[in-house]
Amino acid sequence: MVISGRVPLLLLLGLAAVVLRPQPGTVLLWLLGVVLVIGADLLLTPRPATLRTSRREPGTVRLGDPATASLLVANEGTRGVRVQVRDAWQPSAGATANRHRLRLPAGEQRRLTTPLLPRRRGDLHAAGVTVRSWGPLGLAGLQRTYDVPGTVRALPPFESRKHLPSRLARLRDLDGRAAVRVRGQGTEFDSLREYVRGDDVRSIDWRASARTAHVVVRTWQPERDRRVVIVLDTSRTSAGRVARAVGEDAADGMPRLDAAMDAALLLGALASRAGDRIDFLAGDRRVRARQRVHGVRDVAARLQEQMADLDPVLVEADWDALAGAVQGLGRQRALVVLLTALEPSAIADGLLPVLPTLTRHHRVVLASVRDPELGRLSDLGSVARPTADDVYDAAAAQHELERRSRMREVLAGLGVDVVDADAAQLPPALADHYLHLKAQGLL
Amino acid sequence: MSGPRPVRGWLLIGIALLLALGVAVWTTNGSERYPTPLDPRNPGPEGAQALAEVLEDEGVDVEVVRSAEVFDETAIDDRTTVLVTATDGLSPSTLERMRNSATAGRIVLVDPAYALVREINKDLQAITVFPDALDAECTGSPGLDGFDGLDGLRLEVDQLTVLSDDGAGGPLDGAACFAASGGSALAEVSGENLVLFGAGDALGNDQVTRADNAAIALRLAGGTDRLVWYVPDPTDAEADEAVAISSLLPRWIGPGLWLTALALVALVLWRARRLGPLSTEPLPVVVRAVETARSRGRMYRRSGDREHVARSLRRAARNDLAARLRLDRRAEPAAVVEAAARHLGVAAEPLDTLLNDHRPPASDQDLVRLAEELARLRREVRRG
Repeated sequence: MVISGRVPLLLLLGLAAVVLRPQPGTVLLWLLGVVLVIGADLLLTPRPATLRTSRREPGTVRLGDPATASLLVANEGTRGVRVQVRDAWQPSAGATANRHRLRLPAGEQRRLTTPLLPRRRGDLHAAGVTVRSWGPLGLAGLQRTYDVPGTVRALPPFESRKHLPSRLARLRDLDGRAAVRVRGQGTEFDSLREYVRGDDVRSIDWRASARTAHVVVRTWQPERDRRVVIVLDTSRTSAGRVARAVGEDAADGMPRLDAAMDAALLLGALASRAGDRIDFLAGDRRVRARQRVHGVRDVAARLQEQMADLDPVLVEADWDALAGAVQGLGRQRALVVLLTALEPSAIADGLLPVLPTLTRHHRVVLASVRDPELGRLSDLGSVARPTADDVYDAAAAQHELERRSRMREVLAGLGVDVVDADAAQLPPALADHYLHLKAQGLL
Repeated sequence: MSGPRPVRGWLLIGIALLLALGVAVWTTNGSERYPTPLDPRNPGPEGAQALAEVLEDEGVDVEVVRSAEVFDETAIDDRTTVLVTATDGLSPSTLERMRNSATAGRIVLVDPAYALVREINKDLQAITVFPDALDAECTGSPGLDGFDGLDGLRLEVDQLTVLSDDGAGGPLDGAACFAASGGSALAEVSGENLVLFGAGDALGNDQVTRADNAAIALRLAGGTDRLVWYVPDPTDAEADEAVAISSLLPRWIGPGLWLTALALVALVLWRARRLGPLSTEPLPVVVRAVETARSRGRMYRRSGDREHVARSLRRAARNDLAARLRLDRRAEPAAVVEAAARHLGVAAEPLDTLLNDHRPPASDQDLVRLAEELARLRREVRRG
C-alpha cells in the first residue's frame, strides 16, 4: 500500500475545522475521516495483478550505443487503471526515464519504451517491473514488483577497428592484389605473368621465359587457410586495471582483459580477411568460451558475442587445461596467440611447463598488456625531488621490470614471440606482428 | 573556475557579520551587564548611572537593591527614599511586600504601568501622552518630602505617563505636579507613602540634561539622606502571578500542531515509499595492475631493506647503461663502468663506486641521494 501527496494536504485541510472547533477531538475525528477515505479509496483500487507485463528483449548492442527496452503492459481487468510503472535495470544498463505514468482502459494494452545506454560490457539484466495502481481518489494505491526477465548484451566496443583499414592495405600488398606486387619470401607460388619494369629481377622465371617471347616473372601469394588460435586468459592477471596510454591515470583505464579483447578482435578481423581460419578460446581455471570461426564474413561480431560475458576471475590460470583445449581444436600447425600478462610469477608457475608442448606443434606468440604505470614508477628522473617512498617504489618497479625482461628472454629461448605494449598500442602491435609472420611465411 | 567565487562571497559576508558583531559588543560593553532601562549602573543612553553618581557626589547614600529578599533585609527609616525603576518587572505581590516593609520611608514608583496602578487603587488611571514641556504648578498639599522646591521647574520629555483618578475624594487628592491631559505626571497617593512619577525618561542618561529634568530628578530622589534604588527582578514574583504562555495563544494552536504533526508523518510516509526496490549492480573485480609493485615497495620500506633496494637500483642502472651503450646484457659490471666512463669522458673510479659499491646506504637520505645520482647518470648517458 502507498499513499500519495494528497494525504498530507487533506490532513492540513483539517486546520480549518480545528480553527472552527478548537478541541482535541476535532483532530481525532478528522484523522478518522481521512483514514476512512483512504480505506475506501484503497478498496476501490484495481489490483496491480490485473496488469500483464511482457517484454521484448532489447537484444545486443555494442558498448556505448543506445538500446531500447520495450515493455508491453496489458490491462486484463474489467476497469480502467491509473498506474505508475517503473522498468528497473541494473544501474550500468543506463536506464534513464524508466518511470512511466499511464491510464489504461479495460482490455487495452500499451507499449512502454525505456532508453538504455549500457556502460559496462556483458549481459546487463532487468531488475524488475514495479506497478503502482492508484485508487479513484488518487489518495492511496497498491504497489507490487514483478520479475520480468530481460537482458541487454553489451558487446566489447572494438575500439581498435580504426587500425583495420591500414592493416588490410598492407595485407593486400602482401596478397599481390594491389598494384605493387611484392615478391614474398617463403610464400606460396601463385601465377606467372609478364615482366614489367620495377619487378624484382630475382623473381624472373627463366625456364618459363625460355618458352615464350617475353620475360616472365613468378608472383607469389601469401599463405592462406592457416589456423590462428586466439587464447584469452581471464585469470587473476587479467583483472589488473591499466592506463590506456602513457601519462593517463589508471583509474580511467581498463582491465587488461578488455585491452586483450580489443587486440583479439583486431587480429581476428585481420586474419579472417587474410583467409585464415580462426579459433577462439577463453578461460582461466576452466575453459569459458570456445568458438571456431571458419568461413564467416563478420568474424569480429562472432568474437564479440563470445567475449561479451567474460569477466576476470580471481583464480590462477590452469594452462594445462587451456593448452589441452588448444590441442583439442586440431592437430594442424597453427599460430597460437596467448593474450595474457607478462607476469613472471604467473607465467613461471603455470605457462612455462606447457609451453614446450605447444611450441613443438605450433608457432606461439605471447601478447601482453603492459602497464605504463610501472615504467613511470621506475623512472626516478621524472620526479623533481624524490622522497624515500619514491625510491623504494622505484626499486620495486625496477626489480619487477628486470624480472619481466628475464622472463622475455626465457620465452624467446623457448621460441615464443613476445608482443608487449600499452593497452592502446597492443592491438596494432599484435596485428603488425601477425602481418610480419605472414610476410615471412612463418605461419 | 566558478566554484570558489560564491564561497569567497559567503566568507566575506561571514567576516563582515563577525566584525559588525564585534563592534556592537564593544560599543555596548558598558551597558551590557545591566541593560535594563533606568538602571543605576547602566551607562547607556537609557540608563540612569548619571543620576546615581550625581546623587552619590551630593552625599546621598545610594544603595542599589536587585531582589525582594535583599530589599526585605534593608532597613527603611523615615530618612530613606525608595526609588523603583523598571516597574514593568514589578509584580503586585512584590509591591505589596515593599509597601509593608517600607512603611517608614517614601516609595517613588517611576513609570508605573497601567496594571500596576490599578493594583494600587482601582480608581487610578494611567495613560501615555506625548506632551510639550510641562511646568511644575503643583497643587494640593504634599504629605511627603520632595515636593517642595519643584515650583518653577520645567519638565521636558518625549513621552510620559499621566496619572489621574475619578475626581474629588479620589486617591490622588494629595500633592500633584506637572499637569497634563487631565492628570499629572507626578502625584502622591493620599494616605500612603507612595509617590508615582510618570516621566521616567527624565531620569535617563540622555534626557536628564534637558530643561530642568536634572533638578526634578535630584529633588525626587535626593530629598532624603539615603536612597534605596530598587531594580525589580521578575523572578521575585510569586508563582501564581506568572503569566502562562498558553493563555496568550489562540486555543486552536494545540490541536493545530497535532494535526500538522500528523500531516508531517503522512508526508514522510508518502516520500519514504519508493517505486520498487533499489536495483543493485554486481560489481566486477578491479585491481590496479601496479599495486603489487607498490606494495612490494612499501614492504621494502617497512623492513628498511636498503641493501636490497640499492642492489636493485644499481642492477637496473647497469642494465640500462649496458643497453644504451650497446653492450651485451650479460656484460661484466666492470665493463659497463668502463664503457660508460669512456662514453661520458669521465674517470671510471667514481662511476665504479656509484654502480658497483656493495655497501648498503646508511640512511634513507643516502639511499635517495644514490637513486638521484643513478637517475642523473642514466639521463646523461641517454643524452650524450
